[in-house]
Amino acid sequence: MIKLALKDLKLFFSDKRSMLLTFAMPMALITLFAVVFGGTGGGKESRKYDLLLCDLDNTPASHHATAQLDSLKSLNLIPEQLENAQNLIKKGKKDAVLVFYKGFADSMVAGSALPVELQYDEAKEAEVGLLQQSLIPTLMMLPFSDLGNIPNMMQNRFDKMMGNAADNKLKNDMHAQFDSLYKTIGKGVSSKKNVSADKGKDVAQSFGMGSEIKMTKLVSATNDNSVGLVQAVAGTAIMMLLFSVVGIGASLLDEKQEGTLKKLLYSPLHPNSILFGKMIYSNCISIAQLSIMFVYANLVFALDIYHHLPSLLLMILATAYACSGFGVLLASIAKSRQQVQGLSTLIVLVMSCIGGSMVPTFIMPAFMQKISMFSVNYWGIQGFYDIFWRMLPFRDTTFLSRILVLALIGSVLNLVALKMFNKNILKMT
Amino acid sequence: MISVSNLKKSYDSIQALKGISFQIEKGEFFGLLGPNGAGKTTTISILSTIVEPSEGTVSIAGFDLKKNPAECKKTIGVVPQEIALYNELSAYDNLLFWGGLYGVPSAELKTRSEEILKLFGLYDRRNDKVKTYSGGMKRRINIASALLHKPVVLFMDEPTVGIDPQSRNLIFEVVEKLHKEGMTIVYTTHYMEEAERFCDRIGIIDDGRIIAQGSLEELKKSCQMKETIVVSFVLLSDTIFDQIVSEWKDLKRIENSIHFYSSNVKSDLAKIIIRCSETGLDIVHIDIQKVNLETIFLSLTGKQLRD
Repeated sequence: MIKLALKDLKLFFSDKRSMLLTFAMPMALITLFAVVFGGTGGGKESRKYDLLLCDLDNTPASHHATAQLDSLKSLNLIPEQLENAQNLIKKGKKDAVLVFYKGFADSMVAGSALPVELQYDEAKEAEVGLLQQSLIPTLMMLPFSDLGNIPNMMQNRFDKMMGNAADNKLKNDMHAQFDSLYKTIGKGVSSKKNVSADKGKDVAQSFGMGSEIKMTKLVSATNDNSVGLVQAVAGTAIMMLLFSVVGIGASLLDEKQEGTLKKLLYSPLHPNSILFGKMIYSNCISIAQLSIMFVYANLVFALDIYHHLPSLLLMILATAYACSGFGVLLASIAKSRQQVQGLSTLIVLVMSCIGGSMVPTFIMPAFMQKISMFSVNYWGIQGFYDIFWRMLPFRDTTFLSRILVLALIGSVLNLVALKMFNKNILKMT
Repeated sequence: MISVSNLKKSYDSIQALKGISFQIEKGEFFGLLGPNGAGKTTTISILSTIVEPSEGTVSIAGFDLKKNPAECKKTIGVVPQEIALYNELSAYDNLLFWGGLYGVPSAELKTRSEEILKLFGLYDRRNDKVKTYSGGMKRRINIASALLHKPVVLFMDEPTVGIDPQSRNLIFEVVEKLHKEGMTIVYTTHYMEEAERFCDRIGIIDDGRIIAQGSLEELKKSCQMKETIVVSFVLLSDTIFDQIVSEWKDLKRIENSIHFYSSNVKSDLAKIIIRCSETGLDIVHIDIQKVNLETIFLSLTGKQLRD
């Protein structure tokens, strides 16, 4: 079994074309996708989104808000007149405009809802979704700046929440409670100019803002990796791996065609060992390919792989195992290399498409996101997202569940492959 | 060494073997001849353990094939008809790989591979990739790869198909050497001269049955075939031919030639020449057509071997 795998590895490394297709091609594609998804330039310099800004209020408060937004690394603010901005969006030249309406400063002082609007092109929802991720936390923090009035804001929010359900006495009592509470913790928030994003978020949550801040859970605050880069590396690496393992699996059919499979059967080897040998070989190449892709992403795009090494290694092993099973199964089912090529191209492309290798699953419709779970790509990519984007720890159950699913997929595919292989051997002989 | 008894094999509705039996002694060179589809490959596939028989028993070197296939595999070497090598590996690496599958210890395998490469005249090119070899050279490596574990029995399925005379002669030399060293060889071929040259005994298989087996002489006797003395004359008159017919019953006239069928060529040839001289016939040409496997095969199966 090991001898068979070693022989295959020797054959693989003697074939420069295979090496090129296995390693150089994915690297080129990762580079391409990383550029497309905006993951280039290292984790610290993520892509800036152009955002038009129309300040109709033109007050110190709106200027302060503009300055806050301008300080964000992810945004490139472009001041513009509202009409011009709307034209630019309609012509597809820009994605969105953020409008500060008149009364912005008054709302800050009064602690009421800010008259802010984001106008955008519906076709660019995905981009705008990413924009929102940058905008919302900053806008949520504005009432906590020097220009904001926190007690008023809280009272307004309480009144809005209660509506007619509370009488004036209750409202007055609650307002008094808010004042008292605010004064008690006042010192803690008096230095709010220097409040960090995380602390500010905590403050906002302590004042009942949790439900609004929830959707802007910023993992990026502690994450140097770009989501685009993670998507590009994981998505492309898995898709290319699937193509590679199909080629590796198809070598079984080459052996059948060239008579070496029959000759192997003459030897004292158990027939199943032949398939196990291919599985070992396929796993070795898969692990090597994935590892090299992540090392490449680290060297070229500064993807931080070293802080997540155990998780990464585990995920690489699980993904390689699942993908290898897929390759070996295809080879066991098909009767010729031509069949494998036709079948695999279709299946790999469909799996890659629905599984998120080509486009991220989060921009897909809900039903497609459910369908995507039927592809190996999905579980692999989500696992790598867990590691590099969501920063889940090694023992996190979500992360481990993905490992388990991949291991199950691999085991089922390998078992079916074994059964089909035996059936095909009998047919052959 | 090999005992085959009432071997049957069916593929769905097709009965490829209909109950064949034969024995091969230790050190014997046994030829298996038959037209395409006769059941040769099925027989060899069963003997080399990659096909399970539907019925019957086989034992190789004392091991029952059904009960102990692994031991059987260790005692046999198989040279398949197709060249089954890894073209991207060197000849030496191919030998190391194939020998390794039989559990030959690494050091011994290296020595043995080098010896075999020398034996087949390929030592100087041992590190070249097989894909750069000629067809004949590949055939040699194909055979060499079956010898590394020193098998007791060697199955050779058409080992000289489509090769150059130099490689063929080299293979013949090696095959003869192996036979002399006491290896039991089972050989299938379409070339009658090869079977006649090497085989101690021959089994003729047709339509899933062994229809005759034995040495060439035994086959001749069993077929009761006579050799033919073809005498061509300048002119053969009917009168003279009638005289000859009255004296010699087993003959046939074809224009100015007479085919005399003889069980004893030496004495009959002398008699024919003397009689022709007496009758004043001018002999142009004499040809002796011996009984060979081709004629025996034709006589037994009604088919040419390549049918």
